[in-house]
Amino acid sequence: MGKLFDELKKDILYQHGMNACLNCGVCTAVCPAAEFNDYSPREVMNTVQSECDEDIKELLKSDKIWYCGQCFSCKTRCPRGNSAASVILALRRLSIRHGYFAESEKGRQQLFAKRVFGQNMLDRGYTLLAKNISPAHFPELGENWEYYYEHMEEMRQWWDVPMDLENSPGSHRQIPEQDLDEIRAIYQKTGAIALMEAVEKAMEKKLGSKAEVEKYWQTWLETGDSRNYELKGENKS
Amino acid sequence: MKLAGKVKAWEKHQKAVPSVDEPNGKVWGCFRSCFLQSAAPYTEGIAYKILKNDLGMDLREAPGHTSCGAIGYHGDVSNLETQMVVAARNFSVAHYELGVNNLFSFCVTSFANYTEVIKLWEEEPELKEYTEKMLKETTGREFWIPRVSGGRPSVVHASDVFFANRHFLAAKAKYSLKGVKATDHVGCHYAKIFPEESMGGAEFPQVLVGILEAFGAEVVDYPERRHCCGMGFRQCAFPENRDYTAGSVYKKLQSLKEAHPDCKLILTNCPGCTVFLDAEQGTIKEVLEEEFNVSILDYAQLTGLLLGYDPFKDCGLNAKAVAIEPLLDQIGIPYDKSKTAEQRRRPF
Repeated sequence: MGKLFDELKKDILYQHGMNACLNCGVCTAVCPAAEFNDYSPREVMNTVQSECDEDIKELLKSDKIWYCGQCFSCKTRCPRGNSAASVILALRRLSIRHGYFAESEKGRQQLFAKRVFGQNMLDRGYTLLAKNISPAHFPELGENWEYYYEHMEEMRQWWDVPMDLENSPGSHRQIPEQDLDEIRAIYQKTGAIALMEAVEKAMEKKLGSKAEVEKYWQTWLETGDSRNYELKGENKS
Repeated sequence: MKLAGKVKAWEKHQKAVPSVDEPNGKVWGCFRSCFLQSAAPYTEGIAYKILKNDLGMDLREAPGHTSCGAIGYHGDVSNLETQMVVAARNFSVAHYELGVNNLFSFCVTSFANYTEVIKLWEEEPELKEYTEKMLKETTGREFWIPRVSGGRPSVVHASDVFFANRHFLAAKAKYSLKGVKATDHVGCHYAKIFPEESMGGAEFPQVLVGILEAFGAEVVDYPERRHCCGMGFRQCAFPENRDYTAGSVYKKLQSLKEAHPDCKLILTNCPGCTVFLDAEQGTIKEVLEEEFNVSILDYAQLTGLLLGYDPFKDCGLNAKAVAIEPLLDQIGIPYDKSKTAEQRRRPF
């Protein structure tokens, strides 16, 4: 038992997700992420259940917790009613609060989640915006999508789903400012802003400066692949 | 034996969704999907047309409704507490500003998120108290819990509403799926998190099968039918992780091809599956030179086609990686053959 485990234990996602795991491995057998990556929800549940802070810390600094696709196939199948996907959510928040996420390649992608899903929500009230689904980042959507992206407003009118309407219901509308202020207050009071700020702070510490964080972000925006950003000196991991 | 088990599972998982002929089945509050409005806006467009024009529903949404934020919850930028208060705010706006009692969402992740917070409020009174207090403090709004399915605390998904009204829709259909093989791909967040809230449960979900059968399709089974599409939130959103998405799609479609090579239609109810089961067929074609040509339609797009709406202008089938024309030919749905495929898709 240690401080990390004690903190984890307080998270309702952990409390609801973990009811003593019998290590049968059904979660790993049905897990799509376990098929394609070096990842096993059974191993994660086992590590957490050991209550060993050293092992938990190692897990929080690794790529592993970021491989989960959050499909919850594990929850449906667990004979003990556990939800490994919920435990993963608790572990990821613990990793972010302590800055450990910045130690792994997959963890550092949290900067994109924060600046896309999080910032969009605060700016517009949606986690995703039309501009995010760019042909550069989603080449598989093909040439017709490129055409749509170039003619976005007209195409949406043509489909009868006009965008960015003000004081109106509808698709991709402009949510009134007073409603957005309510959302911002909720995000502030429920700790989401603090969680997002922890991401920026730990990235700055890991990469050395705010300017390096911007460089990392720009590399991703321009190439769609954070691995094109090279970690410097002792930070290489 | 197998059939008896299926029937038993089906009886256990009946969800009560009012149809349009029932007194409380006409007025609905609805929540848009931020994924659909960004990656496939036309799907909500055709769903609206069908529910309003063909079923005569009164659909209500407020300018101030926001996203449920669950992409950010599964993408790790918000807490469960955040999700509870944002949900409570959207419920409150729907009930007190729009006067609705019944709610559905277009996104299965919103459906699961709203279901999760409602269950938490039921199971943990202190979380309900927290939400009520925080909602008042941050927005001044009153707390309200929807009771859609059978009068118990719950919300439903848009595909549930289509399922509940499938026979009315089938009666209006201009075209039929007779002789067409099809299968379903039910979104993980529709059935796997809370199987008891899925029409038919996680193992034999009926929500899409019921729609396919009402239109006359021959529904086929295949081994990887319940495998996730691999959308995975951060996995599909960040290109460097999308090999996971493409890998999942490949596994599913290979399995379908082995079992039923002549099944060229998968019906979906999840925004992520609708987009990626299609788009990754493009990746697979490019990388492995393997073609599946399985059309991926959501419940509203398919219903729209069968009711006689325009495949491109109304149903938005312009932007698919897999060409829709072979399926239109198979069903017997006309389209402008004097134009090239590109002209049909690019109106400007």
